[in-house]
Amino acid sequence: MPGQQLIMTFPVTATSHTLADYRARGGYQTLEKALKQMTPQDVTKEVTASGLLGHGGAAFPVGRKWAVVKLNDGQPHHLCCNADEGEPGTFKDRWILEHAPHLLLESMLIAAYALQVRNAFVYIRGEFDLPYRRIAAAVEEAYAAGYFGEAVLGTNFACDIVIYRGAGSYVCGEASGLITSIEGKRGYPRNRPPRLTVKGLYQRPSVINNVETLSNVAGIIASGAEAFKKVGTPKCPGTQLVSISGHINRPGVYEVEYGYPLQKFLFDDCGGILGGKKLKCIIPGGISTKVLTAAECEPLTYDKQSLEAAGSSVGSGGMIVIAEDTCMVRLLQVMLRFYHHESCGQCTPCREGMGWMHRIIDRIVGGQGRPEDIERLYEISRLNDGTTICGMGDAAGYATIGILNKYRDEFEYFIEHKRSKLSGNLEVAGNA
Amino acid sequence: MPEIFINGQPVAAKSDETVLQAALANGFYIPYFCWHPSLSIAGNCRICVVQPEGKNWVEIACNMPATEGTRVLTDSDLVRAHRKATLQFITLNHPVDCGICDKAGECTLQDYHFEYNGERSISHEPKVQSTKFVELGKRIVLDNERCILCSRCVRFTREISKSNALGIKERGDTSLVRAAEDASFDDDPYSDNVVDICPVGALLSRPFLHKARVWYLKPTPSVCPGCARGCTVNLWHRKPEWRLAALDPQQNVSIARVTPLENPAVNGPWICNKGRDLAQIFERPRARQPMQKGKPVDLPAAIAAARRLIGEAKHPVALVSSWGSNEELAAFRNALGNRFTAFVKPDHVPAPGERLQDDLLIRADKNPNTTGARELFAQLPAEAADAFAEATDLVLVWGEGFNFARLPRGAKVVFLNAWLQPENGYADVFVPVSIQTERAGHYTNFQGVVSAFERCFPKQASVADAETLFAALALPAEVRA
Repeated sequence: MPGQQLIMTFPVTATSHTLADYRARGGYQTLEKALKQMTPQDVTKEVTASGLLGHGGAAFPVGRKWAVVKLNDGQPHHLCCNADEGEPGTFKDRWILEHAPHLLLESMLIAAYALQVRNAFVYIRGEFDLPYRRIAAAVEEAYAAGYFGEAVLGTNFACDIVIYRGAGSYVCGEASGLITSIEGKRGYPRNRPPRLTVKGLYQRPSVINNVETLSNVAGIIASGAEAFKKVGTPKCPGTQLVSISGHINRPGVYEVEYGYPLQKFLFDDCGGILGGKKLKCIIPGGISTKVLTAAECEPLTYDKQSLEAAGSSVGSGGMIVIAEDTCMVRLLQVMLRFYHHESCGQCTPCREGMGWMHRIIDRIVGGQGRPEDIERLYEISRLNDGTTICGMGDAAGYATIGILNKYRDEFEYFIEHKRSKLSGNLEVAGNA
Repeated sequence: MPEIFINGQPVAAKSDETVLQAALANGFYIPYFCWHPSLSIAGNCRICVVQPEGKNWVEIACNMPATEGTRVLTDSDLVRAHRKATLQFITLNHPVDCGICDKAGECTLQDYHFEYNGERSISHEPKVQSTKFVELGKRIVLDNERCILCSRCVRFTREISKSNALGIKERGDTSLVRAAEDASFDDDPYSDNVVDICPVGALLSRPFLHKARVWYLKPTPSVCPGCARGCTVNLWHRKPEWRLAALDPQQNVSIARVTPLENPAVNGPWICNKGRDLAQIFERPRARQPMQKGKPVDLPAAIAAARRLIGEAKHPVALVSSWGSNEELAAFRNALGNRFTAFVKPDHVPAPGERLQDDLLIRADKNPNTTGARELFAQLPAEAADAFAEATDLVLVWGEGFNFARLPRGAKVVFLNAWLQPENGYADVFVPVSIQTERAGHYTNFQGVVSAFERCFPKQASVADAETLFAALALPAEVRA
């Protein structure tokens, strides 16, 4: 495993996800510590001091998000766990939901205590079956053991939890789309201001955090912010669950300590590129992050600052590895088909632009490309930058611009010769 | 009162205003599709972008709080580029079939296209095809290709009419506005307002569908007589300079459509569907022939006969119309008020199935000027016989809606009415009178707000104006006209 582990600290067995096993690993002792020895402010202070960053994609400091919620403001607060893991290439939250559901629940209870939350929610994507059954069973176990409901562990802290299954929309993974969906409305993202931490779910201050982000809370409270900061890099402490897929020999979920050399991770931990091929590029954190070429990857370490300096980001940790000879035009086609399909249709630039880009790339792949198409794709991407309610338009634009910037020659070749410059495949021969 | 700066000029905004509201209130125009002053903020059309001063990005003005010291540019190069791009996006899948669209001439998209874009579509792709002439109920048809998904209509049914009858189905560029499956849009008595608030020609009124080009029509300010709310409306009819000389000249004197005339004191920007259908009230068959006991006479003869009856009567009673204008009611009181014992009569009662009253506009009293009339005259007793004394020998009935069977036996009847009805022939004297669209005047609504209506069409010579008629009836009987 690449570096130190904080979440994947136990061997997965047939019963490792159950309450009994979790307790045997010391589970729910941190909750007791938080409830009986710490004030809510202490918990928030500890999380802020740890420098924990959001793991959902934007890497927003968790402490800053929590600090916006004013304790004792006379309003109910809400906590939502975003388990609508929909970013293509990402399947890390699934690991936690399947194998460490009680870690998530304990962390959520601690977070709920810190934020004075009476009702917590888990918004889980509709396609998740085993993860849903595991987390639902874990909630039942936790209720039976008295971790939820009135008077948790004999204190006057009370918290209830609701698991809400999504219906399979990418945009509902966006925090404000997620809360409108929980409210029973069409899952349209909301305009900011007001921020969700001011007026979120049911018009109350709400904190929406990713599964992995929340799952780190228990560990931080258990061993303290200082211990947490020793893991990873000084500016980017902790670990990241990386779900790696694509042309890689050993795909799967790995817990990578921030600051771990990327090259070592790809070639040692994950066994190198499929079929012994050379690396062409990686998409480091879900398809909405910018692509990094093999040469760009070489000196990088896996952390926020390093990847951002290279023009990309950690994103959601969904790493897609792309081997040489893969046709980037067809790759972009697949990506744009996804964005077109998932645009919620609310804002004009995204609603029309995604379809427009998809039709352009389809035309190029169909051999009907025009020289001005590349500029048009650039233009549509730029016009989606920062002009929509949620970040989906921006994300599609970044991804498109990233690929066009680095592989423009493939697009020009495809338009001119009406066929791919390479084999035209997305699959590596013999391994498909 | 936060002070904000629009294009460098200081503007005093109200404390809860957005930049868009402050700009519009102070003479800076910012275009908008999805924003509407009476609806919640959707922020989806993205045309109202402004540039924060000194920044290299744009934000939507409709959701930007006007906080102290906010500085925005509404007409920078960046803003113009974004508006132009947004219009390119909007017209990407819009059919641009203005030539056959009822909204052409008053379409926001047309206006903005010429103001902010002015270029052909730069797209080479085929347009997304969608459904056309979708029935959203009996009164509205929807063209999904023209729809720009601003969601104004959806928000209207949620926030204003509260019927929740519309929603959006599917997603992305194949999103569709659709009516709820229980057909509640038909039961929404305010449904036609969505036609007005639709910024493009996606929602169309079925009665008006392909009936007229709006530039041949002109609006005349009027007041809806459908209930005691007295909503101010525009009656749209053919411009005199575009009179039809052939084909169907009746169109020259017909109401083509009715739209709300925004009036914060009475109806805001809305009216109900009954107000849309005023043509059904005003274009009923008209009585234009003065009569004595059913025999046609000319107007001066009918007036002279009525005057004679009034002169001879010992105990005359008048039933005054609650559809009379304040001017007519005053004329009656001044000319004949001492001569008659007068009562205000409800001309219209709620029709079967009609919504009686609600919290938005509709009032139970289905007459426009009961308040104005009641300021001058007593209410007709519920039991009509109570209005008539034993000795009542003449009843002047002004306006429709009174059952002649309830008249006292033996009393003479002078009847002033505008519509072709059987009672006209039973009256001893029948004088046809003008209707609201043929004269100007004022109504007082149930809140005491006085609204004016203007004349749309000329009145025929054989029809009397009640206001002058009352003065003529008050002349001494021996003076012949």
